[in-house]
Formats: sequence, C-alpha cells, structure tokens
Amino acid sequence: MSEVGAKPILQLRKICKKFGDFTAVNNINLEIGAGEFFTIVGPSGSGKTTLIRLLVGMDQPTDGDILLRDKRLNDVPANQRPTCMVFQSLALFPHKTVGENIEFSMKISGVDGAARKERANELMKQLRLPLEYYSKNVNQCSGGERQRIALARALAFDPQILFFDEPLASLDFRLRKTLEKELKDIHRETGKTFVYITHSLEEAMVMSDRIGIMRRGSIVQVGTPHEIYNRPRNKFVAQFMGEVNTLEVRRSGEASVCSTGDGQQFQVAGIPAEFQSGHLIIRPEAVKIGEAAQGLENTVRGKLFNSYSLGSRLQYQVRSTSGDSPWLVEMLQDEPYTGELDDEVVIGWRKEDSILVSD
Amino acid sequence: MAGAHSTLAKRLIVLWTVAIIGFLYIPMVSVVLASFSRKRYFSFPINAWDTKWYEKAFQSLSVRELLTTSLNVAVLVTIFSVFLAFLGALAFARYDWKGRKLFQKVVLLPIFFPQAVLGLALLLWFSALGITTSWQTAVFAHMIWIVPIVTLIISIQVYSFDPALEEAAFDLGASRWQVLREVTLPILSPGLVSGSVFAFLLSWGNFPLSLFTTGADQTVPEWLYAKMVSGYTPMVPTLGSLTMGGAVLVVFGVYLMFMLRKWRRGGKDAGPAVESESGA
Repeated sequence: MSEVGAKPILQLRKICKKFGDFTAVNNINLEIGAGEFFTIVGPSGSGKTTLIRLLVGMDQPTDGDILLRDKRLNDVPANQRPTCMVFQSLALFPHKTVGENIEFSMKISGVDGAARKERANELMKQLRLPLEYYSKNVNQCSGGERQRIALARALAFDPQILFFDEPLASLDFRLRKTLEKELKDIHRETGKTFVYITHSLEEAMVMSDRIGIMRRGSIVQVGTPHEIYNRPRNKFVAQFMGEVNTLEVRRSGEASVCSTGDGQQFQVAGIPAEFQSGHLIIRPEAVKIGEAAQGLENTVRGKLFNSYSLGSRLQYQVRSTSGDSPWLVEMLQDEPYTGELDDEVVIGWRKEDSILVSD
Repeated sequence: MAGAHSTLAKRLIVLWTVAIIGFLYIPMVSVVLASFSRKRYFSFPINAWDTKWYEKAFQSLSVRELLTTSLNVAVLVTIFSVFLAFLGALAFARYDWKGRKLFQKVVLLPIFFPQAVLGLALLLWFSALGITTSWQTAVFAHMIWIVPIVTLIISIQVYSFDPALEEAAFDLGASRWQVLREVTLPILSPGLVSGSVFAFLLSWGNFPLSLFTTGADQTVPEWLYAKMVSGYTPMVPTLGSLTMGGAVLVVFGVYLMFMLRKWRRGGKDAGPAVESESGA
C-alpha cells in the first residue's frame, strides 16, 4: 500500500540508537523515494529528533544501516555527506550578513566571490527575499525572513536530501500556514527529496507525499496523508490526528457488526479476519446529528450538551443515554443543527465511516 | 507629591553616584597630582608644578627596563592564558563529560587563595625543582591565578553560544578547523577580547605573585613597593601614574574597537526588520 513510488534514495535498515539503557530509536526500517516529501511525525520524546540526527550524521546509530543511493552512510561524518539540515533554531550565523549566511557552503568549497553572489541572489529571488537584504545582518530579519534565509543557505549547498528539524515550530499560526505551503511549492520547484520532522500531523498533512508516524522510538505507520487519515493502523495514530470518537469493541457473531461491552452493536464495512477486539473510531465530521442522521446504519440517542464554533465548522457534544464518554459531532458552519441545548437527539454515521483498529 | 518625591530620589541617586566615583578616584587623582609636584615630598595643595619627573622617567634606562619587564610578563600571560582559558571554557561550559563538575570547581579554586601564599608556594616549588626564578617564572605564577579568571569570563560567552551553530557549519561541509575559524572564534571573540584585557591588566598590576617569583627581575609594581618602603622619590607617583595611564589606554582602546565594530556592522544594515509576511 504505502510503497515508495520512485527509486529509494534513502534506506534505513534496522536502525537503533541507545543512550545507556534508554532506547531512543528502536529498529526502524524505512525507504524514502527520490524527490519525495516525507514527514516523520511524533509527539515530543518519540525519538524523531534523535532519528533525524542519525540521518544527518550528527550522531551514529548503535545498530543498523543507513544507505544513500545504496551506499552505506553510517561512518561518513556530517560534513562529508551530500545532505543538509534546516535546524529547529535555524542556526543562522549571527556574525554574518544574509548573503554571507547563504554563501557559507560555497565559500567553504572554494567557489569564487562573483559566482557565490550570483547563486545567492538567485536563491533570494526564488525564496522571495528582497535583494537589498544581501548585506543586512541576519539578526535584523523577521521570523519568516530568517526561515527563508536558512532554507536558502541549505539549498545553496545543493544537497541530495534536505532535512528539516521542525523549523516552523516557533512561528505564529498564520505565518506557519503560509510557510508550509511555500515549502511545498519549493519542494516542487527544486524536485529535491525533503525529509521533515514535526509534532504536528496537521502540518505533515499539508506538505507531505508520505508520512511516518513515530511513537516511543518506533514507526507505527507509514502512508500517504489520505491513508493515515482514513485508515489509521491503531488508536494512537487515529487520536494523533485530532479529536475522534473512540469506543472499545469486540468482534460479534455477525459478519460486519462489532459490539461494545454493554451490548451496543455497530455496523462496520468489514471486519478483518484477524480482528478480535480493539477500538472503533468515528471521526466527528462523519457523524451526523438530527434529521441528517435519519436512516444511517449506526445511530446513538442522547442529549445535546453543548456546541462550539471551530471556525469553518461547528462542533456539538452529545451525551448518550447509555453513558459513554461524550460524542463529538462536527457540521459545516452553513448547515448547523437548528435545535436547542438539552434536546433529545439522534446521532448517526454510515458503516463506511466506522474505522476499526486493533489496539 | 509623587513628582517631588521622585525628584528627590533622582537627586539622591546622582549624589550617591558622584560620591562613589569620588571615593574611587580621588586617591588615584592625588597620585597623579603628586607626580606633577616639584617638591620631593607630597603635600597638598601643590604650589609648584613640574613635569621633570616624567622627563626623567622617559630618559631613565632602569624605568624603561621595568616597563619592558612588566610588559613582557603581561603580554605572555595574556597570550598563554587566553589560549588555555579558551580550551578550558569549552570544557567548562560546552561539553558534558565525566568529572566536569569537579573540574569546574577545581579550576576556579586558585582565584580564592591569598596570592601571597600562592606566590610563596610557587617559590618553594621552583627552588625544590632547581629552577632559578626570573620574569619567566613570574609568567607561570601569574597564569595560575589569571587563567581561572579568564576561563570564567570566556565561559560566560560560551554559555550563550548555541552549539547548533557549529553543527550547522559542519553540516554545510566545513571541516573542524573551518568551523573554528568561521564560526566559533568570531562568535566568541567578544569574550576572548574581554578575557585578554583582564589577563593583561591583572598581570600588569600584579604585585604579590611577582614579589615571590620574579627573582632578580623587577616589575613596575614591585619597584613601586620597594621605593615606597625605602627611598621615596616623586618617581613613584610618576611611574604609578604611567602604569594607571597604560591600563586606561588599554581599556579605552578595546572599548573604541568594540564601538567601531558595532558602528561598522550597523552601517551594513538595510534598515529595521519588517514583518513583511504578517501582511501577506
């Protein structure tokens, strides 16, 4: 399902990293395709920063192999790898101008001044940095400009793979959204392989061709944003995306029905053969309320407890009569539920929207 | 009422500041004044002004020798201690290693020893090893006291240095040496310069360590002390003023250098930062 489309540029084979007794990265196998935008997502402490440091060469794996175009990279120091990273802190050289920062790798490799400047100007144009910033001190640039400078500096190195260690984390929401899209545009323009790490699945969804979800040092699922969203492998992945309705369920006697501990039965599109017990996940936007819920395969009765505006959508909290944890229902802002709070309501969803996960 | 209150507070602050500056500088001013007096012994007010002691000082070979010795010691101490302290500060503030905590304490300890005791200890040690004391041994003695201080000064700069900067440079293809030259040294340079100034001035003005460890050689502070104990001439305040003048020159020179650098850097800038994206 989530195979690499292009020929893999980067292969990870049984990568482990231990710090004393603590295993930060545990047996990771992964292939990243040439030209792919691959994002590794995980909560803080999941080992994603450790993993990217292994990939860049700042640290060596305790076990396993890292292959770049079939060549073993483990023992190649970071300064001899044809890869480059945009740091979380950006790590712009504070004593150098914007131009000097961008040209750094070219200066190191002995490119002459005129050629350096030409390339720096090209990159500045591409990244929408005003050319007069060339001789400006980096400390006097804004957050967004500094992001672009860091990216220009990395691109000037002409890396085969560009790594990103959560560079947008410190920016405000709007700027982050703008830059996420810009980054995806730049990925398309340059055709380079981007490997990005973040704690935000939402951010990963916007930019990535494929996403790897990391938890406690292991990758729990790899897939396209569509696959991750629609077919989460387990409860962790499903809940990582955002608020979902979760019920503990077991296989029942019938073919496409699962049941909860208190005997409620819900229809699903199909139960995998190996499934015995696990969780039923229903996304709030798949749940309908009131008249819209009429005639759906699964229904629950309850009382409308509260409603919240989420911008483009409205969220309703329904407390079911059977006393499960509150149900979340999301409707578009322009098709709201018109009843009152404390109404007795019916909520429902199609059996295709029932997602079964094993743990 | 609040206005009157704060005016009074402001006046008191000014008064307090002036009093402190006066307290600090009046004794030194009196030394300078004494150096311009024609009389052999210092009395106030000065009736007869004269610069003959300065003329004598500049002509005197022995004064020249004293200044040369002090300068040699201070320059060598500066070079060696900044080099050692730079490496020490990285070990002190940057890298985590076994025994680092102990190192941090042990390296600072000599600062708190009485210098006379340190000097005596070194003198005993030198003679036990059969080393004849001279200005060169004084260089070593000064370093024992000065290296820890300079280490501390440079450490402050190292603490505020983001190690990711070095990693970024390394990641962009720089060798260890290029990282040092292009990133580490330039960023730590304010700390290295302040460290150098401290090293130079602390060595230049040091008396107790020199007293025990210079042997037959003599630095300016030693000579000043010897002459004050016996054989006072106005050459004492003259040379005293000259050494103070040297210190002031060094401090202001470095200050000017910093200001110039800041001004030149400011000139490179296209203007204040604009959050251009926020409008996008």
